[in-house]
Amino acid sequence: MTIETITGEVTLLGDFISADAILPARHSFLAPEDMAQHVLAEVSAPVNAAVRARPIIVAGEAFGYGTGRESPARALRAAGIKAIVGGPFARMFFRNAINNGVLVLDCPELAGCGIGDGDDLTIDVATGIIQWRERTFRAMPVPDIIQSIVAAGSLIDYGRALLGAQRSGAVHS
Amino acid sequence: MTGQTVAQKILARAGGLQSVAANQIVEVTPDFCYSHDYAIFAIDAFAQMGAQAVVAPERLAVCLDHGFPVNTARDANNHMRVREFARKHKFRAFFEGGTGIAHQVMLEKGLVVPGALVLASDSHTPSGGAAGALAIGIGETELAFVWAVGRTWLKVPDTIRVTLSGALPAGVQAKDAMLNLVGRLGILGAGYRAIEYHGTGAAALSISERFTFCNMTAEVGAKCGVFPHDDVTEAFVRGRAQFPYQPVRPDPDAAYCGEVALDLGDVEPMVVLPGREDRGVPVGEAAGRKIHQVFIGSCTNARADDLALAARVLKDRHVHPEVRLLVVPASRQVGLDAARNGDLAVLLEAGATLMPSGCAVCAGAHQGVLGDGEVCLSTSNRNMPGRMGNKNAEIMLCSPATAAASAITGVITDARDFLS
Repeated sequence: MTIETITGEVTLLGDFISADAILPARHSFLAPEDMAQHVLAEVSAPVNAAVRARPIIVAGEAFGYGTGRESPARALRAAGIKAIVGGPFARMFFRNAINNGVLVLDCPELAGCGIGDGDDLTIDVATGIIQWRERTFRAMPVPDIIQSIVAAGSLIDYGRALLGAQRSGAVHS
Repeated sequence: MTGQTVAQKILARAGGLQSVAANQIVEVTPDFCYSHDYAIFAIDAFAQMGAQAVVAPERLAVCLDHGFPVNTARDANNHMRVREFARKHKFRAFFEGGTGIAHQVMLEKGLVVPGALVLASDSHTPSGGAAGALAIGIGETELAFVWAVGRTWLKVPDTIRVTLSGALPAGVQAKDAMLNLVGRLGILGAGYRAIEYHGTGAAALSISERFTFCNMTAEVGAKCGVFPHDDVTEAFVRGRAQFPYQPVRPDPDAAYCGEVALDLGDVEPMVVLPGREDRGVPVGEAAGRKIHQVFIGSCTNARADDLALAARVLKDRHVHPEVRLLVVPASRQVGLDAARNGDLAVLLEAGATLMPSGCAVCAGAHQGVLGDGEVCLSTSNRNMPGRMGNKNAEIMLCSPATAAASAITGVITDARDFLS
């Protein structure tokens, strides 16, 4: 299974939004659908509503910095987010999002390019090429391992397939 | 072959390779992995992956630290499941709540050793660099993957070399120097990179002080921070290490992507203004600002030397009537040391409230939550909005000495006035 493109409306977010602001620690133990109710509500209620309605986030510098808790990434997945572009991103948040099947593309020039809240964006997953109106952006290339995890659906799905292959005697390279 | 940094050497060995280059993706087998309360999410993910057995349980540990003693039946049930999982799968170690903060406990107990690749499900995992380990934070699902598969992938980071010279002046602590560095580098100033701490200033720092540096390496976005193995490392781990270890130092011709120099003698006591960790200013610029709660705790600054300095400031003095002083030793061992040497009695006599060893106020989901408009002065590592559980409160960061002095006056205060 491969995902070729991700397309849809964006929510435009500012710089230095921490992972604690994406989802505070006190909500860590909620069920995913309940986490989605709170996602980015620390920033504002309109941002919470926008993120739950649109599949792509255009994030500013250091999005997801701070805590390495995975629940902020889980909350974004539960809210229906498919991709987060912009950055640069904090590394633990980057990995946690990928491991929850949310594609993260480092493309810092996108945040300041004039793109507006609610604009449409198209992402070619394999090439990292991002299309906004007539403009084309090239994100940092995504390593194969990340593509494989996102294509599998999440690291849980990827791990289940890998363990299944090991059990059935298939050799994993 | 060009010279290799500490990160390159350890990742190459863990990946079964002769050498690795920056930005290379390497599949690695970690030497040791640990977790805390959030192991519960790894346990769920482990089951969802259909995994049955953990690979190499002798390399795994858990230490409950984020929310102990628990507040709710839900949390109690989660802790039960973590205990049962660690027992069933024969983890090398399980540390009950109250033992201390996982990062501290793993060093104290000799489970994080020099030259090891350590992965743990917490952003302050880089603390292990104080003992010369390459210690890197991963998420909970990824930890489950490592339990189930025994390995994971890492990108080899570029390394920034930080050279420390000089010595800290009286009344100035390692925390002040690190807050200075965080301010200079910025929140993602070392993003995706490793930091090596070098220089005559670094050589003279204790393991506890090195811990403070490596711990807050996370606050500049770094993957890990490390003090390369030296005599101080060796003296700490000898007789303590639970695993065989290989000291690792960088090659003389290793390539660095950046150089930062800091003369410790120039460092002033620092206070980080609310909202972001890179907003540090000399204490004089924040002096007089009113505070409501003081937290001397966290994996950054709650070891015996930190409590000793706080006790020196608070001896024969009293906490301001409009301030709550919360003291949380980083581990039971630290609490015991401070009890035996009298520092704990000094703090309690001054009006401190003693809380169980653990993450406490810093994690923002357990105890010590702030009210609207309140200000907490904290020896911990983070002060972004909402960190301590209320986005309408403010957090400022400082050293244990500044925290203690400010607890006496009720406003931000230069501790040197009390130490001279």
